[in-house]
Amino acid sequence: MIEQLIFYVFALVLLFSATMVITVRNPVHAALFLVLAFFNSAVLWVMAGAEFLGIVLVLVYVGAVMVLFLFVVMMLDLNLSQLREGFMKHFYIGVPFAVVMAVQMLLVVGSGLFAPETLPEARMPIPEDVGNTALLGSVLYTVYVYPFELAAVILLVAIIAAIMLTLRRREGTRHQDPGKQVRVRKADRLRVVNIPSARRQSEQE
Amino acid sequence: MTNEAFETPNLLLALPEIWLLAMACVVLVVDLFSNDRDHGPAFWLTQVTLLGGIIITVSTQWGVDATTFSGTYVADSLGALLKIGILVLAFLGFAYSRDYMRDRGILKGEYYMLGLFAVLGMMVTVSAGNLLSLYLGVELMSLSLYALVAIDRDSSRASEAAMKYFVLGALASGMLLYGMSMLYGVTGTLDLGEITAAAAELDDRRFLFLFGLVFMMVGVAFKFGAVPFHMWVPDVYHGAPTPVTLMIATASKVAAVGLFLRLIGEGLLPLLESWQHMVVLLAVLSLLIGNTVALVQTNIKRMLAYSTFNHVGFILMGFVAGTPEGYAASVFYALTYAFTVAATFGVVLLLARKGFEADHITDLKGLNDRSPLFAFVVLILMISLTGIPGTVGFYAKWMVLKSVVEAGFVWLAVLAVIGAVVGAFYYLRLVRYCYFDKAEGEGPQPTGSGGFQAVLAANGLLVLVAGIFPGTLVAVCLAAFL
Amino acid sequence: MENLLLIIVLAPLAGAIIAGFFGGTIGRAGAHWVTSLSVALSCLLSFHVLLGLISGDRQPFDGTVYNWMVAGGIQFQVGFLVDRLTAMMMVVVTFVSLMVHIYTIGYMADEEHNWPKDSLAGVNAYQRFFSYIALFTFAMLMLVMSNNFLQLFFAWEAVGLVSYLLIGFWMNRPTAVFANLKAFLVNRVGDFGFLLGIGVVLLFYGSLNYSEVFATAAANPDLTMSIFGGAEWQVATVAGILLFIGAMGKSAQVPLHVWLPDSMEGPTPISALIHAATMVTAGIFMVARMSPIYELSAVALSFILVIGAITALFMGLVGLVQNDIKRVVAYSTLSQLGYMVVALGVSAYAAGVYHLMTHAFFKALLFLGAGSVIIAMHHKQDMREMGGLKKYMPVTYWTMLIGTLALIGFPAFSGYFSKDGIILAVAESQRAGATFAYLCVLAGVFVTALYSFRLLFLVFHGEGRMDRHTREHLHESPLVVTIPLILLAIPSVLIGLVTVMPMVLGDWFGDAIFVSQANDVLAAVAAKYDSAWGLVAHGFVSLPLYLAAAGFLTAWYLYVIRPDLPDQLRQRFALAYTILEKKYWFDELHLNVFAGIGRALGRFFWKVTDVGLIDGLLVNGTARTIGRVAAGLRRVQTGFLFHYAFVMIIGLLVMLTWFVFGAR
Repeated sequence: MIEQLIFYVFALVLLFSATMVITVRNPVHAALFLVLAFFNSAVLWVMAGAEFLGIVLVLVYVGAVMVLFLFVVMMLDLNLSQLREGFMKHFYIGVPFAVVMAVQMLLVVGSGLFAPETLPEARMPIPEDVGNTALLGSVLYTVYVYPFELAAVILLVAIIAAIMLTLRRREGTRHQDPGKQVRVRKADRLRVVNIPSARRQSEQE
Repeated sequence: MTNEAFETPNLLLALPEIWLLAMACVVLVVDLFSNDRDHGPAFWLTQVTLLGGIIITVSTQWGVDATTFSGTYVADSLGALLKIGILVLAFLGFAYSRDYMRDRGILKGEYYMLGLFAVLGMMVTVSAGNLLSLYLGVELMSLSLYALVAIDRDSSRASEAAMKYFVLGALASGMLLYGMSMLYGVTGTLDLGEITAAAAELDDRRFLFLFGLVFMMVGVAFKFGAVPFHMWVPDVYHGAPTPVTLMIATASKVAAVGLFLRLIGEGLLPLLESWQHMVVLLAVLSLLIGNTVALVQTNIKRMLAYSTFNHVGFILMGFVAGTPEGYAASVFYALTYAFTVAATFGVVLLLARKGFEADHITDLKGLNDRSPLFAFVVLILMISLTGIPGTVGFYAKWMVLKSVVEAGFVWLAVLAVIGAVVGAFYYLRLVRYCYFDKAEGEGPQPTGSGGFQAVLAANGLLVLVAGIFPGTLVAVCLAAFL
Repeated sequence: MENLLLIIVLAPLAGAIIAGFFGGTIGRAGAHWVTSLSVALSCLLSFHVLLGLISGDRQPFDGTVYNWMVAGGIQFQVGFLVDRLTAMMMVVVTFVSLMVHIYTIGYMADEEHNWPKDSLAGVNAYQRFFSYIALFTFAMLMLVMSNNFLQLFFAWEAVGLVSYLLIGFWMNRPTAVFANLKAFLVNRVGDFGFLLGIGVVLLFYGSLNYSEVFATAAANPDLTMSIFGGAEWQVATVAGILLFIGAMGKSAQVPLHVWLPDSMEGPTPISALIHAATMVTAGIFMVARMSPIYELSAVALSFILVIGAITALFMGLVGLVQNDIKRVVAYSTLSQLGYMVVALGVSAYAAGVYHLMTHAFFKALLFLGAGSVIIAMHHKQDMREMGGLKKYMPVTYWTMLIGTLALIGFPAFSGYFSKDGIILAVAESQRAGATFAYLCVLAGVFVTALYSFRLLFLVFHGEGRMDRHTREHLHESPLVVTIPLILLAIPSVLIGLVTVMPMVLGDWFGDAIFVSQANDVLAAVAAKYDSAWGLVAHGFVSLPLYLAAAGFLTAWYLYVIRPDLPDQLRQRFALAYTILEKKYWFDELHLNVFAGIGRALGRFFWKVTDVGLIDGLLVNGTARTIGRVAAGLRRVQTGFLFHYAFVMIIGLLVMLTWFVFGAR
């Protein structure tokens, strides 16, 4: 009973924040609502027993991706009025399709076929005594090692692509060279100069 | 905590992919430390990698039927055939593109690495035995291609094309993944073999299955560029550097055939009745739109983009029957079409020079006076694409039509033939320009190194030879399904 | 065996490719060496195969070399069937071809000077010529070695193509271009029948492979089909006649013979190789090869018999009034082809094929001899301007005399055995039309001797009628020309004596030729003679020899003793002369009636249906409509990303609604 109550609360907050993400005018606000939505879904996942995914969601999406996102949004200085132009025009065309789609999804979900008793049993039942972080780890590096490696390759491609698209070597610009910085020796930077100390005024005179 | 279901994977079975990945990393490192401005080491290493991949695939996978990596990887003749096609097409693509990329200052080591990773993604796709590896293969391919389209950073057209490709591709991927999740939800497994078995014994859960199927079909149709999920194709073909267009138009189509066959053609064969009509719809729309719009194009790359829909329509028609013969016809069609189109892009690349693209159809005017050999190659390619009897394109069309007629869709075959006749107009127009028109002014000269020209001529002549002796290739395609 | 056969076939092809595509690089000498050597290799290996088959070291080969494709359960293959019949043809083809290659070196040596001024055939014509004849050898070998109808048809068309190219070799000459067009069109008529015949075979016998077809045909001899309503026809009759129509085109039988005399516009070596020795005999070979089908149908054989008889006599008659030296030989070829066809018509396939072989040698000899004369005469071909050449060109004279004796059937010469074999076989036959044919072939003997010696006397004897300049330059042809003549003269004399007993009267061909018991006229002939000399002895007491002698004497009297007489005869028998002169108006018939109707029909279809209906309504109308639609569709490609995404979503929704919820 109490569990259901918690579920509905968080689910409602999730839906609300998701709606706000696409309706608020200020992109910074939208990003923050997205953070809220992530938090709520993380809670729902933890409640469903997927604590590892819930934590990863918070760590990766909220901690890293969304922060980066906020940076970008703030740096871009978006022109809001231009973005919203034509929204209403397309809104009227879009709504019917959205409605149709929503109805169809409701039909599928509401068909009664998505009940636990009609769906097949899980292949590998979750043992009571082990957390699912450990379980995930055990299959990720054994049964699913091939997809896992593929995912790693995809990340490698992403890195290569990102560097290729953004890294520019312009002539004449000044870059920091960490290697040089590390290799630098005292002698390169510091020269002890023996300056004769100033004579006393009185002596001068 | 040990997992009892786990067996140590047989790495040798997946040797082609492992070889490619290892070599891609070698290329990455070698290129980093090489000072060659033309990225010669990367180029030669890449070509060696592809050729080695072909040898390894033939020797380790043809005629085999086995799985490894706990069923996520399938090594069989179909996969081997498609992989060989992909590797050869990539080889041709790299062979044709070196001068072009250098002239435009976009010959980077990343071109080869991303190309290799794209090929790796395609190979993973066509030999996937599991929804996860299938999806990851598709993503690996797509991601590499998105980046390749944008490789010319200073071209606003290329950046725009890449942006569109990326956003729409992400949308399609999302749908594909959504459909797969439905499948997983209904069957409780990611293994394609088990999904096939589950699909055979469905009762009222069929409804959920179909719901997922439609989403997956959209994802697959996007990769094919089938109408109405085709809108990205003309813009991307036109905007991307020609070598990248070549890769998207050829190798990725072969990979898409593999994607369809693994996921739907074989994976969901028990549901043939349900997806048959979806494929028919996509094929019909592709045939109609492709031919009509290609007629009014004056840019060769755009024309090829629109005419792609026509050929995609044919490839899809081969799937309609759901028989090994039909699938073999589709594979034959896709492979021969890809080789023909690769050579066509090769000619466009051959005529291009620094600051000039040679992608307008009038650039071919009077080609026969400048280079009889390549005018002849264009002639072969175009009559083959048209499907004139005696060319390989004819056999491909004929096999597909035969399977469609046997499946009872005579009207579809008639429509396709009419489409092919319309196609004759815009293909043979190029032949007319080559032979019967005089060039305006000098006209673009064939440029490019001897190796490039030799490979291109061989490519064109192979299309001719395959038209005269199609028996072997047909037999190979059939053998892949038996 | 298979590799050996492949080498035989592919060596000339390789030679043709090298000489054709790299002619500029390897030069003239390179071209004639490479083609001649490749054909020589084929020739040697063909002899090897033939001897192997005769001695029994080799077994007949019937196998598929390459599976081209399978369509609707029908196999399209490339394969070889090599038995004694094929091996004999291979030897004839490659041997004559080799002779012609060598001869051509001399004939073409001085091409720029020798050729008519207006007919230079472009750069590297010399190499192209050698490439063509080597290519022809390849195609002809494919034809005789085929083991299925498809390959037969391909080779059939290929030899026709090369023939077309070579007749028009002097492509600047309007007459040559007209002649090659004519040859091509007339052969189209024949090929149409041929293709229909293959269609009938495929439809009713269910295969294209010879052995399978023959087996099916033998198993169902009374299979019938209906054409035009109710009439039931025996399949073997329909297939046989249709296939023979193809043979009529290729082997120049009445009324599809009109192209052969005109084909003499081509260079003389071509006339010898293609239009006398090999290609024109393809029809004879084909019918002999198909003997298991023809044996089932007396109707088809009677048809063949009558056509052959008409050709044999009436074409010989036309030869009497020709003045062009090559045309006389050409009409003689027509007549001899008629003889071969007659032999086929009375089921004496072996005799027909045997005459094909001997004819190949002596007719090639006669053509090459005529060519030698033409070289000496600076490419003048009118016999009225020749005469008395004997003392200038002794080798040519004596070899042509041998050829002529063989042609008229002088006892013990090769032509005697083959021709006499045919006449004897016709005499034995009971087939409908056999009596008519017998009369025709007998009269033909007289006519043959008459025109042959007319040629010989007009060219080599009597007064020289050429102009002074030509006379001063008369001399014997070089060795490359005379050696082939001598080499061809040897088999022209001897081959009959050696081979007649096993090949015509024996069972030499074995299973290659099938003759049903009731039709076996050659067996009846064989019963009467037990040796070749017996046949020779018989010759001196039988009618044909005396008819030939009468022909010789008439020619001698008319053209040596009383050279003024032919003109008087011409005036007295003006009508007969005109009929022959006009060649029975076949050309006019073809040109004005058939071609005329064809052109009129063509013009009608062009004006009304093509320009009006198809171009106006269908093509341009469709193009306009599609253009408008395309322009509209192109506007959909706006370039806006969200439009594209929207189209995708719509597509998804339509599919969902239609296939998921609509199907429910």
